[in-house]
Amino acid sequence: MNIRLGALLLGLMVPGLLLAGEYSLTVDRVTIDTGEFVKEGIGYNGKSPGPVLRFKEGETARISVTNNLDEMTSIHWHGLILPFDQDGVPGISFPGIKPGETFTYEFPIQQAGTYWFHSHSGFQEPDGAYGAIIIEPKEREPFRYDREYVIQLTDKHPHSGDRIMRNLKMMPDYYNRQQQTIGEFFSDASSQGFWRTLEDRLAWGSMRMMKADVEDVQGFTGLINGKGPEQNWTGLFEPGERIRLRFINSSAMTYFDIRIPGLDMTVVQADGNNVQPVTVDEFRIGVAETYDVIVRPRDHQAYTIFAESMGRSGYARATLAPEDGMEAAVPQLREPARLTMADMSGMDHGDMAGMDHSNMEDMGHSQMEGVDHSSMEGMDHSGMAGMDHGDMMMPKGGASDPFYAKGSGLLPTAANGGKFLSYADLKAQDPLYEDREPTREIELRLTGNMERYTWSINGVKYEDADPIRLKYGERVRFKFVNETMMTHPMHLHGMWSILDVGADQWNPIKHTVSVNPGTTVYIETEVDEPGQWAFHCHLSYHAAAGMFRKVIVEGGPDANQAKADVVTKEGGEV
Amino acid sequence: MKLAKLTAASVALSMAVTAYAGGTHGGGHGHGASSGEPGKASEVTRTIAVRMYDNYYEPEEISVKPGETIRFVVENKGKLVHEFNIGTPDMHEAHQKEMQMMVEHGVIQGNKLNHDMMNMDMGHGHSMKHDDPNSVLLEPGQSQEVIWKFADKGNIEFACNVPGHYQSGMYGDVTFE
Amino acid sequence: MSSRLSLTLCSLLSAALLPVAVHAQDMIDDTTARKQPLTTWGVQFEEFEYRYSDDDEELAAWNADFFYGTDDFKVRWLTKGEYAIEEQTYEGLENQLVGQVPISKFFDAKAGVRFDTPQGPDRTYAVLGVAGLAPQWFEIDANLYVSNEGETSAELDAEYELLLTNYWIVAVTLDATVAFSEDREIGVGKGLVSTETGIRLSYDLIDRAFSPYVGVVHERKYGDTADLAETGGGSTEDWFAVVGARIAF
Repeated sequence: MNIRLGALLLGLMVPGLLLAGEYSLTVDRVTIDTGEFVKEGIGYNGKSPGPVLRFKEGETARISVTNNLDEMTSIHWHGLILPFDQDGVPGISFPGIKPGETFTYEFPIQQAGTYWFHSHSGFQEPDGAYGAIIIEPKEREPFRYDREYVIQLTDKHPHSGDRIMRNLKMMPDYYNRQQQTIGEFFSDASSQGFWRTLEDRLAWGSMRMMKADVEDVQGFTGLINGKGPEQNWTGLFEPGERIRLRFINSSAMTYFDIRIPGLDMTVVQADGNNVQPVTVDEFRIGVAETYDVIVRPRDHQAYTIFAESMGRSGYARATLAPEDGMEAAVPQLREPARLTMADMSGMDHGDMAGMDHSNMEDMGHSQMEGVDHSSMEGMDHSGMAGMDHGDMMMPKGGASDPFYAKGSGLLPTAANGGKFLSYADLKAQDPLYEDREPTREIELRLTGNMERYTWSINGVKYEDADPIRLKYGERVRFKFVNETMMTHPMHLHGMWSILDVGADQWNPIKHTVSVNPGTTVYIETEVDEPGQWAFHCHLSYHAAAGMFRKVIVEGGPDANQAKADVVTKEGGEV
Repeated sequence: MKLAKLTAASVALSMAVTAYAGGTHGGGHGHGASSGEPGKASEVTRTIAVRMYDNYYEPEEISVKPGETIRFVVENKGKLVHEFNIGTPDMHEAHQKEMQMMVEHGVIQGNKLNHDMMNMDMGHGHSMKHDDPNSVLLEPGQSQEVIWKFADKGNIEFACNVPGHYQSGMYGDVTFE
Repeated sequence: MSSRLSLTLCSLLSAALLPVAVHAQDMIDDTTARKQPLTTWGVQFEEFEYRYSDDDEELAAWNADFFYGTDDFKVRWLTKGEYAIEEQTYEGLENQLVGQVPISKFFDAKAGVRFDTPQGPDRTYAVLGVAGLAPQWFEIDANLYVSNEGETSAELDAEYELLLTNYWIVAVTLDATVAFSEDREIGVGKGLVSTETGIRLSYDLIDRAFSPYVGVVHERKYGDTADLAETGGGSTEDWFAVVGARIAF
């Protein structure tokens, strides 16, 4: 009490001074102007995106959130490790924040890095309720930079989230404007042969699957820090400076392929956690992921940050420039991505009987060169004496990536032919956990039906599902099997996802893990936080359609016990 | 497990020293005259301790007199493999390509070095030995000396050219007094 | 002093009791909308058009449905009609109210009632049908009807969309009716009754919400039905030029 009084007095003496880690947010109806359209949306403190919240590792965050909407709201602190009742998921962490009410979140900051926050109520997040979080570490970081910028991406759509969901339910291809046309049939026929093209179309038609099903929701304008391509958000630099760019993908539905023509990017963090630095020309950021990169523009010129959507239906653009107003060329969008049969390999093949699979694989627009990377991985290097150097060179540009189905049409390649980041490149800089055998494995099949726009896990939607029960102290291995033709960014709240990239103790820890179609991805989780948590696909309309679970952690030191102890101590001083 | 690692490390250390003593320039690590030349122990005027962490040096700046010969006692106090390499930015850039190859070929594996690979004959008289006198490549816990006679002037940096490390800031300036 | 003591006591007591109590209370049940089946609705006018026949007949015609419900159960109101503009009469007016449940990955079953209230005698039918997406992207809607007169008939609707571009779309439709017994009063003979074939070129002007089109529709009556029509002085075959819009909201 005395301490509090003192703090209060200090606060009164220095007007406007907030205690470390204290923020007040209001949830408001706002106007969002993308430069291409203006719409009503939801924001924080009168703006979308909301403010950047900065914390220091070790301090206590105290954030009061006042709901000025006429509906319930909530804020989820994406990627933060905290007591479950502060996690901000209505119906799981807490009941939510009623209209007119103020809820004060309070939790210890026990990590560092780039994170973000967003509403977990309805479609408020796609409607604009998101912002960035930066946490400064206690210790020196394993990299240096002279300045930093948050680069927060979103896919702002002229329609409201509710309307998008309804339209998708009514017509699942409502927003898909990259479907295969007659023209594409004839151009394929001339390059691939008429019968082969026909066979290909019939094969897809028999499955009632579209090669063009890469982006469900097109027609958005890509924003960076709230600015559309024409509004061109610009970050200034002095040539020679090292700039840390904190990329956050706050999109509802859109993956972005990011490059800065003329600069290479050294990835130093993924999902807030330090990774062994890897220098790339381009990387793909899944929905809800974050990547921190360091760039060093040496010349007195502008550089375009170009974020092209995975399906090439839209882009976001910003500029790094030595002076305001300078800009660089904006690249053209590349050809739309097309799924291949490889991306369908996780699906039920009942409808595909009699189809010649091998013929189909190269039908798509994938740029596979037939390089089998995987066969080299297990190679015993010591037995390779006398080999020809030339043959050993790994193909650059990600001609293969173990995290995509072999022959996948989604396999990214760098626009300049250089290095494209793979999950396989991510190695923890300083592993948080000891490597140990998992206690058990839980299989989660990612399932859905595009024609009905239903999304589920193990064929069961959230509304019909029992919670996943974990035991405090165990290490669970989750096996994601993607049986759909879409990529799903799976987000487990409250506990880290240790992504199995085959690096054992150096496996990186993430909060959101992309599972590409036709692939199986493993994560392990040290079950070290009691309570109940959300676990879902972070594509807004997939989560809402049922690709969502509640996870209950049973046993362990009760989070509320610890809280009760604090209450007692404070009570004792009264 | 730990014992095995320790043994491996000590073997590695002795091998690294051997390699260093060999002092061949066969690795093709170009180093221009501008950065200086290998120093003689007898001419050492000062000893500077350089500690390598993940991924930065302590100290991050070194000041020398033109023509001075310095004994660097380099210790890897990090958890990853690091290099201490004296050269011009151009030399570092060229060296980074070689180091990238060493990673791709499994010579540098995060926290350890594959010495069998390093010594392997790559054909054309090349190997991936990391044995230039202007640098040392150390596994965590290893320590080694570099004796270097600096040139009169020049744009010299000491740097770790393990892929990504230089780019994320693991280098320091050599300033001439 | 004593109040302070009791306060301390109270907090001690609550500290002992709280964990269990709070635990049970805090691990709340999810009663939010997310845990409920997603309820949705929609309105679609597949056809909303003006028809001009080769006999200079002018018609207003529509074919629309309204649905409300969840993945597991939807209520659907289907309405279609043809209104003769000069005569100011409904040549056809049909409303169906059906419940719809999924029966396979791509198909739903429907059951409900149909009310036909055009110019002339009315009919009420029981409806049983399936609707969904057949291989190769054919939209299929097949229905079996039993009228209040006891007559049975079946109707098949098929639609195929050809994408000239992602905005210019050619829709080909076929609607065929078969009667298993005669219903002379409403001019239906046994066997193949009639077909309506259409081809429409549309442009998605506002999303997929408003897509104007032009097209050609061919209506034909067959067999006994054609004979009935001829004896009644009506035509057995009509060609229409149509202009209209597909509407969805």
